[in-house]
Amino acid sequence: MSLMVDKKYEILNPRERFGLLVIDEKPDRCNIIPLITSHAAAVTGISLKDYYTNGTAMAKAQIAAIEEYGHDAISIFSEVGIIAEAMGSEFIYPDDDLPVLKKPALTGLKQTMDCLRQPDPKKDGRLPVYLEAIDYAYSAVGDKIPILAYVPAPFTTGMMLSDPNQFLLDTIKNPQRVKKIIEISLNAAIEFCYEIINAGGLPILVDPLASGSVISPKAFRDFALPGEQGLINFLHRYDFDVILHICGDTTPLLDSLILTGADLISLDRVDLNLAIQKLAKKIRIIGNFDTTKIGFGSTDEIAKEVKEMVRIGIKAEKGYIASTGCEVPIRTPVENVKTFISAAKEVGWYWG
Amino acid sequence: MFRDPKPQKISLSDWSQQFKLVGEEQIKKFTYYRNPEWGIYLSPPATFMVYGARELKRLKFDNSMASLRLWGFVFNESERLFRAKQIGKRVIATMGDLGTVPVIIMAFPHCIPFYPECIWWTPFFKESTVLLDVATEMGIPEAACFSKATLAAFYKKAYFPKPDLIFASTGASCDDYSCIMQQIEDLGYDPFWLEIPFRRDDLNPPLGGLRQEEYLISEYERVWNRMVELTGINDKNRLIQSIKKANRLRSLVANLKKLTYEASIAPLPALEMMTIEFGNLYGYADSDEWLNILEMVQETICNRVKQGVGVLEEDAIPIAWITPSADPLLLNLVEDFGLRIVETEYVINQALVPIEEDIESFRALARSFLKASLIGSTKERVKRIIDGVNNGRIKGVLITNMIGASHCAMETRLMEKMLSDVPVLSIDVPAPFGITEQLRTRIAAFTETIKNK
Repeated sequence: MSLMVDKKYEILNPRERFGLLVIDEKPDRCNIIPLITSHAAAVTGISLKDYYTNGTAMAKAQIAAIEEYGHDAISIFSEVGIIAEAMGSEFIYPDDDLPVLKKPALTGLKQTMDCLRQPDPKKDGRLPVYLEAIDYAYSAVGDKIPILAYVPAPFTTGMMLSDPNQFLLDTIKNPQRVKKIIEISLNAAIEFCYEIINAGGLPILVDPLASGSVISPKAFRDFALPGEQGLINFLHRYDFDVILHICGDTTPLLDSLILTGADLISLDRVDLNLAIQKLAKKIRIIGNFDTTKIGFGSTDEIAKEVKEMVRIGIKAEKGYIASTGCEVPIRTPVENVKTFISAAKEVGWYWG
Repeated sequence: MFRDPKPQKISLSDWSQQFKLVGEEQIKKFTYYRNPEWGIYLSPPATFMVYGARELKRLKFDNSMASLRLWGFVFNESERLFRAKQIGKRVIATMGDLGTVPVIIMAFPHCIPFYPECIWWTPFFKESTVLLDVATEMGIPEAACFSKATLAAFYKKAYFPKPDLIFASTGASCDDYSCIMQQIEDLGYDPFWLEIPFRRDDLNPPLGGLRQEEYLISEYERVWNRMVELTGINDKNRLIQSIKKANRLRSLVANLKKLTYEASIAPLPALEMMTIEFGNLYGYADSDEWLNILEMVQETICNRVKQGVGVLEEDAIPIAWITPSADPLLLNLVEDFGLRIVETEYVINQALVPIEEDIESFRALARSFLKASLIGSTKERVKRIIDGVNNGRIKGVLITNMIGASHCAMETRLMEKMLSDVPVLSIDVPAPFGITEQLRTRIAAFTETIKNK
């Protein structure tokens, strides 16, 4: 009897599937990694505050989400202020919501760069929470499932270190100050990445505030891009394939995204066909299901549109990850996420 | 710019710290298949740990640039094989033969031999039973040699690309692995079978040996013809060149063993040395780059020997190691207890014997194979070790058994008997993540026994 596989059932585990993707090989089916971050807390019924202040709780929630949904990666993340907090910004921790920026480190006219501390990822803010989560998840399931750790890119961190409006104004009025903040943020992000790697996590860069919905293509090139490039260069030293996620509409930035050096690009509100046409020969594509739809749409609608998306996505030459355009909203119905994943699994096959 | 620090064994996080000093130009300097885009491999152990090799978090490594290069290259092998296919090379699996068939394969341009059974380390490096469990589900008993991971790897097609050709050696090879190879054929693969003759007839030389030699020649001719069929190339001069290259590799490894095992202080840890010995089989799928790496390792060892420095204490107790451990952590562990490996009888000694260059190539390959210790009697396998014991160079012997591997079941007791003048510790290598306190205690007791003798 021949055991050679010719049926559409899963042969690979997520670790093996991701491993093939990053060496330009097609796995059994496309990787399916919706951005299930804080939504994992809702899956397990723990409070959000527990999720983002307790590394073990975060890891357990992520593992429980994987068991519930069967997607292809653990996503260690809660919100983008984590490095800024470790550098001196203050956040409020609501019981059942994500941390909220209370007082940026650079507040008021007298604040200088001296008040920004170079954080120690093992001690400062909630960076140790992330490291604990990575360590726990890696020990528990790291042989079978990749552990992705989301790291805010320097532009986004810079905005969380300042009054966001002032920061954006300074890109025009005081660009040197913005560049200095980004430089300091880059060093902090590099140190954090270094510890993430030693714990077993694969750093993913997220730069939501560098979105085309927030800044112009020129501002992206002048301010966000150098920080992203610096971090990506650091990770390339380790021979990692780097994922960059930018929220919102990045259509005007598509050409610039190649310049980041990222190996996989996670897109949000962009025409997937256009993105594939422009990027897919050089970069692997991740995306980009509408998060409003996964949060509030009907399961029929989700199933239909996910299938359409995946059928387009798997044509990307260098590879594709079926995902949501941004984080799965915290209170998304479990059925909706299950529908997303089963629809992607139905049509995302490369083998057989 | 990174320069070798004082030699020592360091952890994964220490290596990450050291890696900060490695310059861009140093990283870009070393490539496999000379490809600057994806052929760079100089990464610290943490990179491979992030991609799932969990045991690296617990292992200790030599701290030289040569060893960094060695590990980066070895851990990169799976990707290298896929890349080989992507750029049009032919990837040829050789199973169960231990070092000779690859010499033939490497005589054909753009053909890359590899040993699928070397995947037996993967469950240990990953601290994972994924491959072993799949093999069990496919009918290989739980108590079978860890090489059963190979079956699961063929099934999953994620650890190496589908080979263009598979050479499978049966006969005088491990019974468990013979069964596994047959299962691989059942998966729909089409191996080309060849037979390794039974052990050399020591009682009736030269007739017994000669008959086996002629038989092996005919088998190697079949391998050659199949490769000619695949590639359309039939150039025996290339085989002569391939033999010369294999000999360069073999003599280099022999020299590294001599330098390392005879130095007053161990210049390189046992784990790196085992990895080097196994590279003799096929050069980890890029024999040119592997040779370059070994030359760098040799330079490092020579410098250390010259300076009288090394990675273990000067008073580490010298022992011999028989049969390789599937779990790399054991090699670290033994050194942590104050022991030092000064002689090895890994099954790959088969790929250490020089190949004659002034006779017909297939005969030279057959003779080399038949001269090796594994194909000889048990008495012959332990002879070097007994000599070492008698001249005081070896104080104890450690034998690692693979449950299910027939050669272990057959030979371990005999070896213990033949080595009765010296403390012997015989251990069954436990499943991944299975090194227990009990095992540690046994190694500690073994060390004490030697010290008190």
